[in-house]
Amino acid sequence: MEIKNIKSTNIPAFFDQMIKSGKVVIAPVLKKSGKVFFEAVQSYDQVSTDYIQTGFSAKSVVFPKVEELFSFKKDDEGIEITNNLHTIPETVVWGLRPCDASAFNYLTEFFLKENPDTYFTARKEKTTLIAISCAKADNACFCTSVELNPGSTSGSDILLTAMGESVYIELITEKGKAAVETAASLFTPGEEKSKEEFLAKVTSVFSMDEVKVRIKTAYDSAEWKHASMGCFGCGACAFACPTCTCFDIQDEGTQDSGKRLRCWDACGFGLFTKHTSGHNPRTNQTERRRQRLMHKFKYSVENLGIVSCVGCGRCIRNCPAHLNIFENILSVTK
Amino acid sequence: MTSLQNKVTELFENGTINLLIGFKEAIHKLPVPCFIDNVSQVEQLIFTPSCKGNLSVYLHKTEVKQAKKVGILANTATLRAIVQLVSENQLGDIEKTVITLNTNGELVVFATMDELEAYVQANFPELSEEDKKLLDQLNAMSRTERWQYWTEQFSACVKCYACRAVCPMCYCSSCTVEGNQPQWIKVSSETTGNLEWHTMRAMHLGGRCINCGECGRICPVGIPVHMLTVKMNQDIEAEFGAKTGFSVKNGYALNSFKPGDKEQFIK
Repeated sequence: MEIKNIKSTNIPAFFDQMIKSGKVVIAPVLKKSGKVFFEAVQSYDQVSTDYIQTGFSAKSVVFPKVEELFSFKKDDEGIEITNNLHTIPETVVWGLRPCDASAFNYLTEFFLKENPDTYFTARKEKTTLIAISCAKADNACFCTSVELNPGSTSGSDILLTAMGESVYIELITEKGKAAVETAASLFTPGEEKSKEEFLAKVTSVFSMDEVKVRIKTAYDSAEWKHASMGCFGCGACAFACPTCTCFDIQDEGTQDSGKRLRCWDACGFGLFTKHTSGHNPRTNQTERRRQRLMHKFKYSVENLGIVSCVGCGRCIRNCPAHLNIFENILSVTK
Repeated sequence: MTSLQNKVTELFENGTINLLIGFKEAIHKLPVPCFIDNVSQVEQLIFTPSCKGNLSVYLHKTEVKQAKKVGILANTATLRAIVQLVSENQLGDIEKTVITLNTNGELVVFATMDELEAYVQANFPELSEEDKKLLDQLNAMSRTERWQYWTEQFSACVKCYACRAVCPMCYCSSCTVEGNQPQWIKVSSETTGNLEWHTMRAMHLGGRCINCGECGRICPVGIPVHMLTVKMNQDIEAEFGAKTGFSVKNGYALNSFKPGDKEQFIK
């Protein structure tokens, strides 16, 4: 892997150079609510550097909360169907955490493995992920339990690790190398070294190997009731989650003009599985939450070979009831 | 065992309850709701000032209704919610035993609804300093500024419906947003549709919301959505003298006509 270094005082120049080169740069921004969210910025001054984790993940860059699949217009001359694929800009996501970046591996498998998704492909091709290692963690973080760590490079194009007055840069992909070329004079060649002392310490709460075996028989565990009765049935966990990919197709408009949209959906909603007849095969919140957790740790392993939880802790921080996914996984697999 | 755990054990043993909705400590140290159906689980129970959640939401759950004899740990907001829910005839099918901690930190188990109501009325809270400040800011805005403020806030809404999910007064078994023939509110999240959703919800809750503030506290994007109903409640109290969650006989101010109602607002 190619390594470079940059003085931390030169980071703003590198960042602003990417904007000048015409890229849309999405970065963590501190909002009035006191929470930090990804949004498009115009200069490095707007970027938050003090955050453990952003409120929502960066998945919206490749899987927006509302994606217009096409729009149509009907008049005397016929029907015109258009889409926005050509308007997707070159985008850089700055400052996502290694857990979020690794989630892009799952998203890619999910959207491209069977019937490759045109919209995801177009967005992914134009996206460069510049992740920043975690120097701090909180008690909702559990990346080390799902076989990642605060300095994982998996999924990122570039990983930055602050090491005192300089920043250690791992150029993981060709896209990553191209991104530093926009400001090549700011970087100096470096050598591979340990990042350990600059990374947050995240204690592992379970062994993934054990969980993978034990979850196979967890479906009927009586513990699901204790783990999930408190679930209110909102979508706060799924919408914040970097790997939740459920969506709902909606048509909006009239007979003469309209659009087809792909909107985020969540298996925690009662409506998610409700049939037209009124019958709902998942009758209660315990079953709905079991589905969500089993999907992360069992079904996605069976279907795509990937544990689709990256330990970012957002579902824990955002849960109105303070339900804790790793505590629940521990209890249903014990 | 703590006095709370002893009390709950006693309630199970003498057959007063067969389910208790309470709090326990999650692995990350925050209070998480728990549903206890036998004395062997009582030791996990906690009830501290950090237990801010409004557990009365769970009284609408089928599994809870099936238990029939239900105990519930109630902070002051939960008590107000119970009063309001009783006034709206929502808790008729369970025998409830409500447990609270008074201002001295002592355990109180209410024997009757009258006792509970009297306690609520004697301990009726003022708006928090933080909410007062925000309300003053909103009141000081011009209509245009206020519209801009809420438009900006709701443009960030992702329609996760956590505000609805945590609300003890949002107990409809099927919500307007879930109907699609006709579709009153768009499913997609975008500013206008989001505004419509929150306006509709506020209109359904004005004069019913018990000001627990949970919807604002838990919003994952940090929208102070509770301020809509806080403001509406103030107006309704001024016009009709009705406080929400205050009396089981009050009913719902916007749903009942009294000859003495003020009519200054009709212009």
